[in-house]
Amino acid sequence: MFLLGVLFAALVFFLGNKAVTATSTDEFCASCHIHPHSTQSWKLSTHYDNQRGIRVHCVDCHLPPHGEGYLVQKARTGMRDVWGKLFKDPESFNWEAKSQIEYAKTHTYQASCTRCHQNNFPLGLTEKGREAHLYYEDHADELQCINCHITVGHYDPDRLHDQNTSFGISETAPSEIYTEPGRVEGFSNFTEYIPGSSVSFEMVTVPGGTFRMGSPEDEPFREDDEGPAREVSISSFFMAKVEVTWDEYLAFYSQTAATGKTTDAYLLRGSSEVDAISGPTSPYGAPDQGWGKGNMPAITMTHQAAEVYCQWLTEVTGKNYRLPTEAEWEYAARGGTSTPYFFEGNPKRYVRQGLRNKIFGVDTTGINRYVIYAENSLARSNPPSAVQSNPFGLINMLGNVAEFCSDRYAPEAYGDYPEGILQDPTGPVSGDEFVIRGGSYMDDAAGVRCASRDYTRSGPWLKTDPQIPKSIWWYSDCTHVGFRVVCDYDEQMVSK
Amino acid sequence: MSSTKRTSRRRFIENTAAIGIGAIGATQLLKSCTSEEGTVSAVAGPEFLRSAPDGEPLKAGVIGCGGRGTGAAINFLDAGPNLSIVAIGDVFQDRVDRFRRDLKEQRDYEIPDAGCFVGFDAFKRVLEADVNYVILATPPYFRPEHFQACVEARKDVFMEKPVAVDPVGVRAIMAASKQAEAAGLSVITGTQRRHQWPYNNVFTQVKAGMLGDIVATNVYWNMSKLWHNDLAPGWTEMEWMLRDWVNWTWLSGDHIVEQHIHNIDVSNWFTGKAPVEAVGMGSRLRRPTGDCYDNFSVDFIYDDQVHMNSMCRQINDCADNVSEYIRGTKGYTDCRSFIRDHAGNLLYEYEEPTDEQGESLEVDPYVQEHIDLITAIRTGNQIVEAEETAKSNLTAIMGRQSAYTGKKVTWEEMMGSDLKLGPEGEIALGPVEMNKMVPVAGSAAS
Repeated sequence: MFLLGVLFAALVFFLGNKAVTATSTDEFCASCHIHPHSTQSWKLSTHYDNQRGIRVHCVDCHLPPHGEGYLVQKARTGMRDVWGKLFKDPESFNWEAKSQIEYAKTHTYQASCTRCHQNNFPLGLTEKGREAHLYYEDHADELQCINCHITVGHYDPDRLHDQNTSFGISETAPSEIYTEPGRVEGFSNFTEYIPGSSVSFEMVTVPGGTFRMGSPEDEPFREDDEGPAREVSISSFFMAKVEVTWDEYLAFYSQTAATGKTTDAYLLRGSSEVDAISGPTSPYGAPDQGWGKGNMPAITMTHQAAEVYCQWLTEVTGKNYRLPTEAEWEYAARGGTSTPYFFEGNPKRYVRQGLRNKIFGVDTTGINRYVIYAENSLARSNPPSAVQSNPFGLINMLGNVAEFCSDRYAPEAYGDYPEGILQDPTGPVSGDEFVIRGGSYMDDAAGVRCASRDYTRSGPWLKTDPQIPKSIWWYSDCTHVGFRVVCDYDEQMVSK
Repeated sequence: MSSTKRTSRRRFIENTAAIGIGAIGATQLLKSCTSEEGTVSAVAGPEFLRSAPDGEPLKAGVIGCGGRGTGAAINFLDAGPNLSIVAIGDVFQDRVDRFRRDLKEQRDYEIPDAGCFVGFDAFKRVLEADVNYVILATPPYFRPEHFQACVEARKDVFMEKPVAVDPVGVRAIMAASKQAEAAGLSVITGTQRRHQWPYNNVFTQVKAGMLGDIVATNVYWNMSKLWHNDLAPGWTEMEWMLRDWVNWTWLSGDHIVEQHIHNIDVSNWFTGKAPVEAVGMGSRLRRPTGDCYDNFSVDFIYDDQVHMNSMCRQINDCADNVSEYIRGTKGYTDCRSFIRDHAGNLLYEYEEPTDEQGESLEVDPYVQEHIDLITAIRTGNQIVEAEETAKSNLTAIMGRQSAYTGKKVTWEEMMGSDLKLGPEGEIALGPVEMNKMVPVAGSAAS
């Protein structure tokens, strides 16, 4: 009887082992996994084809190593996958979102990377690689291998972690090169032409007035930093109709791009001479994330780069371009309204929260016409033509990409202002981070309200930049922020 | 009441003397001192070999044939059996010639013509020769490039301190050190206090807790000026700088890096870490050539708010002091001869081991470094010091940058700095295009 028991146990063990092996093959994974390109992109990757002749299989990365929770995770993901296979519509998956680094980290195991890659400093490693791995070892608590090496398992030319020296170099000759900047005929909308380029953009008037900055305490999803609401008086100004496009930003990049880095010039001896505006160095990877350039909003530039862009635009056009103050931004976004959005609608109806929305789904009909946000963005920025403008004629004030303001961020900024009506306030005098407004394609309806405030995060947004020092021009880990320019209005600028 | 027992020193020494080489540890020095708190027991110090063990023949290549290169080569030959020098390289022919003459005179040792290389790329020729042990003794500006080349060529390395003159160079050394470690190579770096018997014996007691927790450290290299060379007829500017290298920051790192690193390294060694920030000051009062300062005073702060006060000066006829002083919760030490309690009572005293005639048995630390490296190679007990030294090197650079700029400088900034000294482009004999202004901190009063 005992012997029988042992035999039975051995049989179970044997079959179990067989089953584990059989369900761990690439073919088995691929039999259900229907996400487009996963097998093709794997076959294009260095984990499929490399000089060492080693092939890395699905389970090698997407499950932890044997003995470190392999079977538990295998059972868990197996059940999830079976459920998904039986009850979910593959069309409903947002593959774009699932290929982002934050999601990828949840189904790729660091321990699985390091099980094979045990030496971060092999002989022959490039100088950049040595510097990057040195940085990684100093910051191992913040970084995983795939933060930088996300393409090793599934090739994606838009995510390569490398200096992108060909970025922004146009392949076709422009049709017309403007020699003169745009003319201003008074306080009315005008078209700006960037001299030396074939790029133009629309500026619309924002007539001065007084409004209530911030949100009432009963506004749904209100955060503490949105109050106390203040009476603010704003002078007239021009604002760009759309967020700065790649065409516009690349005109700047191609005219000013620098080859050297100057971040800690203060440590160099002697005085540093400030000469002509020196623009961005070449980026790492593809700043546009492969979502397209042209009239798509420019993204991943740092706040400092956006400021330098404005200085440059001022220089080449002879007008006074700058980032909007936070107050100007909110005034422009509201377009004379005082509701959560510049259109009608309750934020609560637009989010995936609450029983009713969970059962009946999110009713996005109102918001869809005006805002690119988490529920309709497909996890990426969209061209300006996707939505309609606000009462001032401005497009994408809410959503699509969040926008830099010139103010430094402080949660209690509104309360810190002096009593009374504020005239063109400019925010706190000091602070490490800057205000960003409008929310983005990543935010839900709560984050794209007119009053919603957010701020830059310099440290985390440069996490995987392998350069030392880190770039002052490009965020390596922020894809949802861009900016919009404003132009001061005064009667002197009216073209004669 | 002491729990330690005295070992017969004489018997120990007799044993080691009998085989000609041997280990001298502190076992023979065990002793106990009485303090206010009662008896404090010393623990056994580390063991040192007085000569490297025999083993596979080591064939050295020497890169940089100046005074230190020549000295290091002789130290290497003195370190044990089966050692040879097969290739040497220097930028200047006369340095190669003098190196060969000195080795002939002092050790009756001859370097074959075929093993002698001249020029900025001489290091490549040396590495291509049949060498398996490389001595790097050029001005430190060149060290990162040379060390990287050695590691890629899988050579064990002895390299002089400092190992870099700027943060870019320091990080290159750190990374190459990790590569050396992964590749099984051994590296020793010329911070010779770490190979000096007295320091190691005191260090052992401090680690065992005799000093308590460290609360402050003071480190000094206040001494007269080093050598300098005026521009001679027929020299290009580059040749002059190279022959006057200790006076030029891009070549030496300035004296806080080039010389004072020894003392800073002792503080980092004993505390087991590197400071997180520094505020320093310094100036140039009497240095005849170059662009270096000749005095620095720096307040370094470790992460636990322990301060290292550092002072260095290269000016004649001033108060001289080359030492380290560490204060702990239980007392203080000079790091090399004693530990005392706060009242001044002796807790521990290092006793120099001697033979029957009273001659010291201690080995010259410059030779000891090579003994330790050769031993590591021949016994397979890998040792890689480069990263530790790089950290002390960066500490010194952090102090220098603070003095040059007048600003507080942090470790984080240094680890992220792209500061790279020296002329741009290829290094060649001729005029040197670079900023040679001596830095002046702050702004003038208006």
